Amino acid sequence: MLRSLQQSKLFTVVAALMLAATVVFSLACPLQAYALDVEKCTARANQDGGAGVLGATETRVTWEAQADASESITALTFTLPAGTTFEVEDTRVTQLTGEDLMDREFLDAECTQSGDELSIVLDQPAAAGSYVRVEIYGVRFPAEGGSMVLTGTYQLTDSSVHNLPDAPAIKVIALSVPEQISNWLADQSWVQAWNSVNFLHLFFDPTIMATSFPVVFSGFLQALVIVAIAFPLAIPCGLILAFMRMSKLRILRAIGTTYVNVVRGTPLFLQIYIAFFGLPLAGINPPPILLGVVVLAMNSSAYLCEIFRAGIQSISAGQFEAAASLGMNRAQTMFYVIIPQTVRRVIPTMTSEFILLYKDTSLLAAVGIMEVVMYARTIVAATGSITPYIVAAIFYLIITLPLAKIVGNFEAKLASKDGGTSNKKNRKNKKKDQPQKVDANDDQGITPAEISSL
Amino acid sequence: MTDSTDTSTQPIVRIENLHKSYGDLEVLKGVDLRVNRGEVVVILGPSGSGKSTLLRCVNLLEVPTSGKVFFEDTEITSPDTDINEIRKHVGMVFQSFNLFPHLTAKRNVMLAQEKVLKRSKEEAERVAMEQLANVGLAERADHYPSQLSGGQQQRVAIARALAMDPHVMLFDEATSALDPELVRGVLDVMKSLAREGMTMIVVTHEMGFARDVADRVVFMDGGVIVEEGIPSEVFDNPQHERTKNFLGHITLK
Ligand SMILES: Nc1ncnc2c1ncn2[C@@H]1O[C@H](COP(=O)(O)OP(=O)(O)OP(=O)(O)O)[C@@H](O)[C@H]1O
Ligand SMILES: [Mg+2]
Repeated sequence: MLRSLQQSKLFTVVAALMLAATVVFSLACPLQAYALDVEKCTARANQDGGAGVLGATETRVTWEAQADASESITALTFTLPAGTTFEVEDTRVTQLTGEDLMDREFLDAECTQSGDELSIVLDQPAAAGSYVRVEIYGVRFPAEGGSMVLTGTYQLTDSSVHNLPDAPAIKVIALSVPEQISNWLADQSWVQAWNSVNFLHLFFDPTIMATSFPVVFSGFLQALVIVAIAFPLAIPCGLILAFMRMSKLRILRAIGTTYVNVVRGTPLFLQIYIAFFGLPLAGINPPPILLGVVVLAMNSSAYLCEIFRAGIQSISAGQFEAAASLGMNRAQTMFYVIIPQTVRRVIPTMTSEFILLYKDTSLLAAVGIMEVVMYARTIVAATGSITPYIVAAIFYLIITLPLAKIVGNFEAKLASKDGGTSNKKNRKNKKKDQPQKVDANDDQGITPAEISSL
Repeated sequence: MTDSTDTSTQPIVRIENLHKSYGDLEVLKGVDLRVNRGEVVVILGPSGSGKSTLLRCVNLLEVPTSGKVFFEDTEITSPDTDINEIRKHVGMVFQSFNLFPHLTAKRNVMLAQEKVLKRSKEEAERVAMEQLANVGLAERADHYPSQLSGGQQQRVAIARALAMDPHVMLFDEATSALDPELVRGVLDVMKSLAREGMTMIVVTHEMGFARDVADRVVFMDGGVIVEEGIPSEVFDNPQHERTKNFLGHITLK
């Protein structure tokens, strides 16, 4: 009993508070006058080849309202959405009258800006009940886009100020960061000067660079994925081929040699065509990316085979003999003695092969795989500038240049660690202060037959 | 040790009528040789006489054209023999050291112990350090071959072979590639090895070493053994003209 009494008491208090809040709220706000009707509020489309309104891009806002028959407007203020900029000078107020509003009369007005607010004071009040159009020029909505609503007030001849009813929202499309950068660049005087040189505009247009970067970047990722799978796949295949070519068994040697000669003797471009157009005819339709990866891996394995074979054969016969004399079998000799030394020797040529393979992903554009060149080509087609191809070139270079550098450092480090014949420091010392002596690793290379015989 | 006349000793290596040809070139023309346990046999002879080839036939780095090679009780020239099983017990030291350049001295000595003898890493390391200490290179254990002098490299190579507990050691001109001042250290290691009773077959041009250390000297020329005997016999009283020429030539040098 007691509890329910308390509850009902509480309920009464809450209700009273809510009522009070409502009263206070309505008093605090200026009275709404719905006598004026906002008929239209739009922004001119500013999208390249589209009908949308982009943020952070210049547009013109057109606002139209029908005043009540009793209302004669003397002034208007507009509050634009936060972050919007506009120009005040060209603001135009038009009064439309007559049948179908065909008679137009520009109204002279004093326009001023303070922050997000545009204030328009008409030199002469508009006719009572007139249809008024306001055009605001140089409007840039915020880059984030969104639903933009113009609010404001209007003043009548009796000096009463009323709130404008909310105008229909303008849907503004968010502008991507590269587009913003591109737009910003386009406004810079140095960019304009730069682009006034036709050569620079055609090959190095900064605005196109900004927009094509992210697009070509997705192709770059695609190419990276392809090469990041294809190359590791090609390494064991190349190694197996190398062992086949050095095998005791004639049949394995023949298979390995034929494969390597055929693959290396024909253009990769042709191999791609044969795979991409031949397999579907044979009723096999693998996903293009997968097929691209396989073709590149198969191609690269032939080149890697020759790199590995040369690497293994460059190891002195003495290394094989030393391992054999310790009772190591062929596999142990290969894995613990020969391959570790070969790896160090083949790293430079393997890197060149990786660079070649990475560049060769561009050939997959011919069969529709969206890699770097393919993406660049689409933008080139849209803009008529070669700049996207330059961006594509940059995406190749950011991989290939550092790679060459890193490998160089890696080699230098290895050389200083275990030297061998490539140890520059060692060589120098020898010349300087040591008499001539047989270098442990300067023996003649070993022939496949010799390897097999051990 | 010097009592090489004890014929009852069991031969550890036995070579019977060994022939080896490279194409038309017959390098070994019927060689017979027995090496007993604990014996140090030094093979002398002019360049091209087939000394290396003979030595390399003992662990089948070269496959003989005909003839038989026995190691202990096994005929290693038989196709049924697992040669790697034999090679475990036959250490070999090369003229050009042939250390594995990508491994430190210690890892060089450990590798085959772990992979071939299947010793644990700890044991292999312990043995490696022991063998490196024996050749006086304990403090160079973590050096790579390129950071070692030729003499040091050759001593590591000897340690590497010894770590396998070989029953016989083959030396093919172990000091020929060394600067003169580095020869001593390697020969000292070989001498102490001989003193400890290791069976050794040594191809060398170091006459002093042959005279001091050999139980038996074998003189080869033209692919055959021309003369053999205890050092004092062969050096001081050579029977054959070719031996005389060779020794005279060497002494003159
Ligand atoms: N793999 C090979 N193929 C062809 N001929 C060879 C091969 N190995 C050695 N020979 C030849 O066999 C002969 C004997 O060589 P071997 O190396 O056994 O002589 P050696 O007595 O050790 O000489 P050295 O004192 O110069 O080392 C030489 O004429 C050499 O040219
Ligand atoms: Mg020789």
